[in-house]
Amino acid sequence: MAIRANPKLIEELEPYGAEDVMKCYHCGNCSAVCPFSEDPYVFPRKPMRHLQMGLTAKLEGQLDPWLCYYCGECSDQCPRDAEPGETMMSLRRWLTARYDWTGISRLFYRSWRWEFGAIVLVAIITAIAFTLFGMSQGSLADYDGPNAFLPSSAIHIFDWALALVLLAFLVSNAARMWWFTMGRDKTLRMSAGSYLRSLWLLPAHFFSQARYGQCDRKGPWVTHLALMLSYVVMLVLIMFFLAEMASGPEIDWRVHVLGYLATAGLVVSTILFLRNRVKQSAPQYRHSHESDWIFLVLILLVALTGILQHILHRSGLDVAANVTYIVHLSLVVPMLVLEVPFSKWSHLAYRPLAIYLARVRVTALARSRQSAEPARGAEPSTPLRAA
Amino acid sequence: MRIGVYICRVNADVEGGANLESVGHYVANLPQVEVVKALGVLPRLDPVALADEIAASELDRVVIAGDSPGFFKPAFTRAMSLAGREPDEVRLASFREHGSSGDGATERAKAIAACAVYGVPFTLAARPLDTKWGAATLVVGGGIAGIQAALEIADGGKKVYLVERTGTIGGHMAMFDKTFPTLDCAACILTPKMVAVGQHPMIELLTYAEVESVSGVPGAFRATVLRHARRVDEGACVACDICSEVCPVKVPSEFDAGIAERKAIYIPFPQAVPNAYLVDEASCTFVQTNGKKCGVCAKKCPKECIDLDARGEVLQLEVGSIIVATGYEVLDAARLERYGYGVQPNVLTALEFERLTNASGPTGGRIVTKSLRHNKRKKVDEWVFDPEGESPRSVAIIHCVGSRDSNYNAYCSRVCCMYSLKFAHLVKEKLPDAACYEFYIDMRAFGKGYEAFFERIQDEGTFIVRGRSASVTDRDGQMILKGEDILSDSVVEIPVDMVLLAVGLVPAERSDELARMLGVPRDDDGWFTEADYNGDPTGTERGGVYVAGVCQGPKDIPDTVAQASAVAARALEGAMTGRGLQSLTSVKLTDIEARAKSLVPAS
Repeated sequence: MAIRANPKLIEELEPYGAEDVMKCYHCGNCSAVCPFSEDPYVFPRKPMRHLQMGLTAKLEGQLDPWLCYYCGECSDQCPRDAEPGETMMSLRRWLTARYDWTGISRLFYRSWRWEFGAIVLVAIITAIAFTLFGMSQGSLADYDGPNAFLPSSAIHIFDWALALVLLAFLVSNAARMWWFTMGRDKTLRMSAGSYLRSLWLLPAHFFSQARYGQCDRKGPWVTHLALMLSYVVMLVLIMFFLAEMASGPEIDWRVHVLGYLATAGLVVSTILFLRNRVKQSAPQYRHSHESDWIFLVLILLVALTGILQHILHRSGLDVAANVTYIVHLSLVVPMLVLEVPFSKWSHLAYRPLAIYLARVRVTALARSRQSAEPARGAEPSTPLRAA
Repeated sequence: MRIGVYICRVNADVEGGANLESVGHYVANLPQVEVVKALGVLPRLDPVALADEIAASELDRVVIAGDSPGFFKPAFTRAMSLAGREPDEVRLASFREHGSSGDGATERAKAIAACAVYGVPFTLAARPLDTKWGAATLVVGGGIAGIQAALEIADGGKKVYLVERTGTIGGHMAMFDKTFPTLDCAACILTPKMVAVGQHPMIELLTYAEVESVSGVPGAFRATVLRHARRVDEGACVACDICSEVCPVKVPSEFDAGIAERKAIYIPFPQAVPNAYLVDEASCTFVQTNGKKCGVCAKKCPKECIDLDARGEVLQLEVGSIIVATGYEVLDAARLERYGYGVQPNVLTALEFERLTNASGPTGGRIVTKSLRHNKRKKVDEWVFDPEGESPRSVAIIHCVGSRDSNYNAYCSRVCCMYSLKFAHLVKEKLPDAACYEFYIDMRAFGKGYEAFFERIQDEGTFIVRGRSASVTDRDGQMILKGEDILSDSVVEIPVDMVLLAVGLVPAERSDELARMLGVPRDDDGWFTEADYNGDPTGTERGGVYVAGVCQGPKDIPDTVAQASAVAARALEGAMTGRGLQSLTSVKLTDIEARAKSLVPAS
């Protein structure tokens, strides 16, 4: 059946950062220089074409944007300055908004004022709530001990509750991603077995980001990996060892070392990313969407207030430490609540998921090809390969 | 005679247009003008009412003034006949059409209106009375454009100085094997013309020479030409080749695009015009050591026509017109590192392949891949073309190398698609078993017979792949070309033995200096700017200076020859009549008015 073209699609993508798509004249240079582009995931030229033609349904069902890591080679060599790399980036933002069923993501990506306002609002609510909670059961003068202003046991419960809510959002959005890209595709039959057999890809790519390392320029991958691992270490520490981190002067040395490493990783990598974006040092840093700035600044502030709170606590300045803790929490909560399911953070989930789903799809494709040509057996040789 | 002037316009705000109020006041003071009326933009004209007005004012002539006043002529013509007047007495003062815009737009509009009031054609009145126009023409550049222009002018009986930078005329066309789409032998078309130039009594051929400066005015230019020392007497040399045989210095041959060598004393190619050797001072040992070493060629020359101590000379030429035909150079393919030019031995530029496949080239026209040879003198291994070398089994031709690319040349070089198809034909003709791929972005087969040629190449079995390839790399001794085949959405890798780069055209070296000397602007890409894209594609803003061939913008041989013939007619116009049009913009309003008055027929 013919596909309905949507002439307004490019306009729709503009707030997400797609600016120069119409300049593309389809020379295919980008797809050929891309280290990630391989059959059947050939990009960025093909998604650019879909975008030019307004083929919403095709774009929505694509995993390709998540398989691009924006090394910037394509944009560097583009003869038309059509910025294919940035187009893929904007498609990721747009897809994030499409996957999100609440519509919040769409709102944020289309208007930084909404995103910023929401962050401020959540921050204020968090600050008030925790201040009231602290005053109701503890003393501002005590950071730990029985009379602690914000006892780690209570924060611990809050953390887990929040984590579950966020996970629910994230999983539901990821499920929609699966539905758009795999579930509703009736042309291919994906077997449960292949889903299971490829499952290891999820954790493997989540922790190693090995694919990003295929870019010629390794710098961004290293920085990105440092940021992500620091983030995960910090998350694990907070989710499972909050009591050990917060209480008493005798913090376990392992928690201590990991905490310092993770904090340093967060601060250094966010500063590096911010510097790159300010200096526009490479193609992938030339265009910065408002959501990119908000995300990086939020993480940096969270890390800095965390450090400050730690120093104040260790110096015995409990009142100042408690106040900083409140500030820290009112940055952490919006960062998690708003960024994880609805904005830039979510790519941490979508990327490994896309790699996983892509593998399942390739397996299914190979099988359907085999069953379609049982007589020939071997892979049909194209005229191009024949030579 | 009683005259009425009506000022009406088609457009409301013409940028840089004339001040119509000022024009109105001026016209009102011209003799016999009884009525001046400004009717504004796109007035609704009722011929009956106009007729009443014309009759009431007893007008004998109506002048419609403004930008594109012809728009209103029918209404006024009808009104004149309704009023019982002569309908032919509706005259137009077309401001925009006669160049009233920008600085001096108002003055010019006044002059145009005055001519209409006097009933004298503006172009006639604006023509200056007499400018002495030099009978000789200077042609800069001896490629096919310069050759064609020089021959046509000389055949018209007028003197031509043809200045060529290298040691021979012929330019790029002399290097080509075949022309597209007819697949004629390029040399067979060119060399008779070259010989004609060399023998023509009206052509003074100055090779190995460059224009140093130009002064004077259109019609009377003075050009200073520096003639480098050829160090061989052109008249006496019989091209016996003995000097070249004994010369110990070898350098890459420009004519063979660097794929073969020549000596320091050499003739660019056997059919060169003038058919005489020359000394390349940059590589000649004798010249470089101030006569301390070598000099063997001078001793061996049987005609004793080599003078290694000769000095260059400066010539002063007086000419009426100057024709610029400086042509082009090709883009330096090494700038596009990804195609491996200069790294992979068998990645060739278009010109290199032209020489390789040319029967007069280093392999006698055999298409072979390079072989590794030990150079005893330099003690290194070198990749060279050996006539007995292996033929490539697979050849890829990459279009748009550095063209249509914002990182290099944003423009289309116009000839590459067709010469690439020609290459495919030559490959298939000489190596029927070899696979041949054309990687293109858009196939621009726009000229007469080009589409049929494209079809023919497809029929010959060339793989036409839509997609500009991205890289040429070496994998275990096999060149691999990687690119996207757009039409099948797949990134493909093709093993190839030879890659031909269809490099784009860029303006010739020193075009900027020449443009400054001549006072002719160039566009952003460096091509000489014509006076008017549609109306005057061979003239320039500077009167008496004309452009022909690729120096005005990329074009193929037929278009170049056509343009060269056209400029010849322009130059002959001045040379034959002895007077030419000065640039109209430089003529004063008072002069035009006085001349218009003088041209009014006595009644």
